[in-house]
Amino acid sequence: MKEFAPLLHGYWYLFRGAEMTLLMAAAAVVPATFVGILLALAQVFGNRFARSAVVGYLFVIRGIPLLVLLTFVYYLLPLTGIDLPPFWGVVVVMALYYAAFMSEVFRAGILSLPRAQWDAARSLGMTRQLMLRIVIFPQALRLASPPFVSLCANLVKATSLVSIVGLWELTMASREIVERTLAPFQIFLGAAAIYFCICYTLALYGKYLERRALVGH
Amino acid sequence: MANILSGAPSLAIDIVPVLARPMLEMSGVSKRFGTLEVLREVSLSVQAGEVVVVIGPSGSGKTTLLRCINLLEDYERGIVTVDGEPVGYRLDAGNQRVRLPEREIAAARGKIGIVFQSFNLFPHMNVLQNITAAPVRVKGISRAQAEARARELLAMVGLSDKAAEHPVRLSGGQQQRVAIVRALAMDPKIMLFDEVTSALDPELVGEVLAAMQQLARAGMTMVVVTHEMSFARDIADRIVFMDDGVIVEQGKPEQLLFSPTTDRVRAFLKRYNDRYRI
Repeated sequence: MKEFAPLLHGYWYLFRGAEMTLLMAAAAVVPATFVGILLALAQVFGNRFARSAVVGYLFVIRGIPLLVLLTFVYYLLPLTGIDLPPFWGVVVVMALYYAAFMSEVFRAGILSLPRAQWDAARSLGMTRQLMLRIVIFPQALRLASPPFVSLCANLVKATSLVSIVGLWELTMASREIVERTLAPFQIFLGAAAIYFCICYTLALYGKYLERRALVGH
Repeated sequence: MANILSGAPSLAIDIVPVLARPMLEMSGVSKRFGTLEVLREVSLSVQAGEVVVVIGPSGSGKTTLLRCINLLEDYERGIVTVDGEPVGYRLDAGNQRVRLPEREIAAARGKIGIVFQSFNLFPHMNVLQNITAAPVRVKGISRAQAEARARELLAMVGLSDKAAEHPVRLSGGQQQRVAIVRALAMDPKIMLFDEVTSALDPELVGEVLAAMQQLARAGMTMVVVTHEMSFARDIADRIVFMDDGVIVEQGKPEQLLFSPTTDRVRAFLKRYNDRYRI
């Protein structure tokens, strides 16, 4: 038990770091979801130009590691004169990065609906907007929700990368404690446990959504 | 066959059949999928209150014909009107086809009921929501009024107790009756049925056919694609035989089924009779 004394002394600091991690993840998930839905709509319903632009964007984003992108923007922003606090800079990069993956999840949800559902809605005289709102989206979002939650868990874990560009969150907090206590195994075990608890909760929620998505199918 | 309508309220559909007034006019409709011409200059006129049954071998264009009527399938040539109003295209002064705006097409579709082979109910909505969604959102009827009408129609097909169920909890026959009610709730001018019993267990076919027969008796204009020949004989005012994208022969049920004039229909019916009895 004595070996875990550094962890017992530092746990409050870790929790504060976890709080920052959650804040950062939540701040990135909201715009990522919104942009992801827009990209998915552009890809499914857009004209050729919109579809090509989205495909190009996804192609580029998927080919670049998040860490490289974070570092690139970290050095780029001061050169462009954009005065964005580092927290929001990171949130913007993560949101745009994960929006690409989320758009694929939403697009798959929309396209996985049988054509018969579209036919039924159209045959009842629904306009495209109405059909999307009351027939397609409710079903597509249910189908997309399990992989969406999985992506959210991924995003939470990806926040650990921002410590590289000097932002303070759970991983950075852990490193600071390690520097003071020289007990890396205990501290990072504690950090891993916190990450696990957050992601496991999300996974359980994903399972719940998956069960709910199956209702009516 | 159990009479699903026994004890049900009298038919709650307000239809005034006026014969000799064309409800549906298709003229020169052609449709191709790639290089395959599925409909070739098909013209068909259906009078108000008339029940037209379309028969023919698989791949003859029957389903495409129905789907072209309400523009679920776009077509390259021809014009379709329902009760005198164009559905997808109108002719301009120079006799050129002009596509109607999407909003007008949607409005026209709302006046044409269609029931599909695979029911196509919305699985995330319960039965009542399935039926009331379009009347409320498309026609702007009040929710209370739409629900009252839905319950009336559900009673008509013997499904009063299923209003709160989700489609997945219903049998195929029940789902198909809900699909019929959903289409009727829009007060359509014409009903289209696309092989509505093909996906059902034989034991469940009767309940769906009974609901359709009741509709026909009430004077609803209907175009029915089916492989149920005995049902076609019972319900049809006219049978249309299609093959290879054209109407080969049409006539009264007795005439077409028992003394067809073309070899193609004779061959089709012979093959059918070898397997089933009409």
